[in-house]
Amino acid sequence: MPQTPSPPPSLMPHEEPLPPRYDLWTAAVFFCVGTAILWLCWQMPTYREQGEIYTAPGLVPALHGVIIIVLSLWLGFRAIGRGALHAPREAAAPREGYSNTRLFLAATLCLAFAVGLVGRLPFWLAAAIFVFAFATLFEWQPGLAPRERARRMAIAAVTGLATGGIVVLVFERVFLVRLP
Amino acid sequence: MLDSLSQFGAAFGTFMSPGAIVTVLWATFLGIVIGALPGLTATMGVALMTTLTFTMPHTEAILVLVCIYVGAIYGGSRSAILLNIPGTPASACSTLDGFPLARQGLAGRAMGISTSGSWLGTLFGTLCVATLTPVLAELALTFQSFEFFWIAVFGIVIAGTLSGGDALKGYLAGFLGLWIATIGQEPHYNFQRFAFGYPDLAGGIGLLPALVGAFGVAEVLQAMRAPAAKAVANTVDSVIPRIGDVLQYWRTILRSGAIGTFIGILPGLGEDTAAWSSYAAARRASKEKEKYGKGSIEGLMSAETGESACVPGAIIPVLTLAVPGSAPAAALMAAMLIHDINPGPMLMIQTPEFFYQIVAMLVIADMSKLLFGLTLVRPLLWILLVPRERLMPIVFVLCTVGAFAITSRVFDIYVMLFFGLIGFVLRELKFPMAPMILGLVLGELLESNLTRALVLSDGSIAPFFTRPISGVLAAITIFSVVWSIPAAQNAIRGGMRGLLRRRATAG
Repeated sequence: MPQTPSPPPSLMPHEEPLPPRYDLWTAAVFFCVGTAILWLCWQMPTYREQGEIYTAPGLVPALHGVIIIVLSLWLGFRAIGRGALHAPREAAAPREGYSNTRLFLAATLCLAFAVGLVGRLPFWLAAAIFVFAFATLFEWQPGLAPRERARRMAIAAVTGLATGGIVVLVFERVFLVRLP
Repeated sequence: MLDSLSQFGAAFGTFMSPGAIVTVLWATFLGIVIGALPGLTATMGVALMTTLTFTMPHTEAILVLVCIYVGAIYGGSRSAILLNIPGTPASACSTLDGFPLARQGLAGRAMGISTSGSWLGTLFGTLCVATLTPVLAELALTFQSFEFFWIAVFGIVIAGTLSGGDALKGYLAGFLGLWIATIGQEPHYNFQRFAFGYPDLAGGIGLLPALVGAFGVAEVLQAMRAPAAKAVANTVDSVIPRIGDVLQYWRTILRSGAIGTFIGILPGLGEDTAAWSSYAAARRASKEKEKYGKGSIEGLMSAETGESACVPGAIIPVLTLAVPGSAPAAALMAAMLIHDINPGPMLMIQTPEFFYQIVAMLVIADMSKLLFGLTLVRPLLWILLVPRERLMPIVFVLCTVGAFAITSRVFDIYVMLFFGLIGFVLRELKFPMAPMILGLVLGELLESNLTRALVLSDGSIAPFFTRPISGVLAAITIFSVVWSIPAAQNAIRGGMRGLLRRRATAG
């Protein structure tokens, strides 16, 4: 009877392992974070003159910093042991159907809404513009007939206005929650 | 005994008004919809609804959140069965057998198995809440700072070890979360740590904006990056569960219920680990192993029962220790704190009626879930077909509102964005998210108890290891870390084998 291949013990059955080089870089970042924490804790006052050293503000975060450094070294040496320094410098194989362009477009639109629109426009309008722009850009297809394009844009506009209106109505009017 | 029963009766009576029933129905339905839609998770649902229920009386607010939680974990199986995409991470295991069943034209039967398994799982877990919580709360009353320190460390370590990924990365994520919890004014001298002169940072990092970012924004980004999903079926056969399926697999249901509840009680693990563990145990014990992964009814039943039993299980440590058993339970605990309910050992003494109400809420939410599972098949199918290009911007708008509304700080929107980015990157690097969120929740518990214990013992660390419960917790924690090192694991296994062989030879 054919058996489904079992994944490495450290991963969930639906996950794929990463190349060890990624772990080495991650370890380096965590090492820097841990070192920075430790350095910042060292700068903090101890309030020793008030009689108690164990309540010093930097004590507990410094402990976390030390543990992060130790764990990052463990991750780094493990990655080296798994061939991170000798592995070919290829990027991990792209997963089928996954798109970084879509990812960056979504991230940019979300950032533009949260940082650029929220607080500068009435919330219903900011939400309507964001939802309209998001849906229109992601549904944009170069060869689409003008009539179909207009229909999709109309649906996006209605969705945007409905979102803005319903969010304001439900959150602000019904549940008395403040909106940005 | 009679007093407890009358308290349960009174708690059920609280929710028998027409208003409460309407609340249960809409909240559970909303939870199922949130769970069913890929990109919306139970954690995000509970965190967002905390905002919406901010002005409600506390009983009604927690009722809404419990219904959302119970509904969302169940709803995830709909998209797992019909789209082969788990609606929530907890439902990833259900795709293994749910989707093959749907492809065989048995989508309705698969949903029936999911409904019955999920209903029985939550019922089993709720029974455990009712019986175990008072016992554990009694035990927790004997804990002092030394024990609470180890509970916090144990939570991080066990979440890292078992949360379904690389244990080492789990520890790193956990300690990163613990460090993030120290940002802001510290409790003894009001010194501003890691604030760099920014008053907003000095106020600390809010748990809810972080949760909304890590589980909402990160999901939006992941959903937009992934390929679009297509439903396998537009029509479904009967969704009425077959009694035969339930009776035939009663052992699987009981086993998965027990595993799911136990995983729920362990800090920070959550429903996905419960589903995978239940599935693995069912497969090991099954007489029809060859069907697993190809449309096994037993496999789907075990995954659904396990993940749904985990929901009440994850609430047990919230009520007894103020330690969440899963990420949605962390959001639920944050909501309790916002509504001035103090979860932890004192809850059973200060507000015992709340414990009985939680049990009643779980039972009522479970019944409501059963009702919707059996009746609202077609509307849920339509909801699954909403294109993500129109759904995800709406989700992001709700995330923004959710992050802002609790404290009305624009800074919290930036916290959400930051955690969204961190959550996305760390997930891509195979870091589990649950330990980081648990670290954020347990940071204050760890710090206050560590400093208090050190002051009490005048700097001696001996009581951390010599007090009985503290010693046991320390031993389990250290063993968990050692066990996650493959070389140490092999050495321990080899040593055990050698010991057994020697005993057998001697015998």
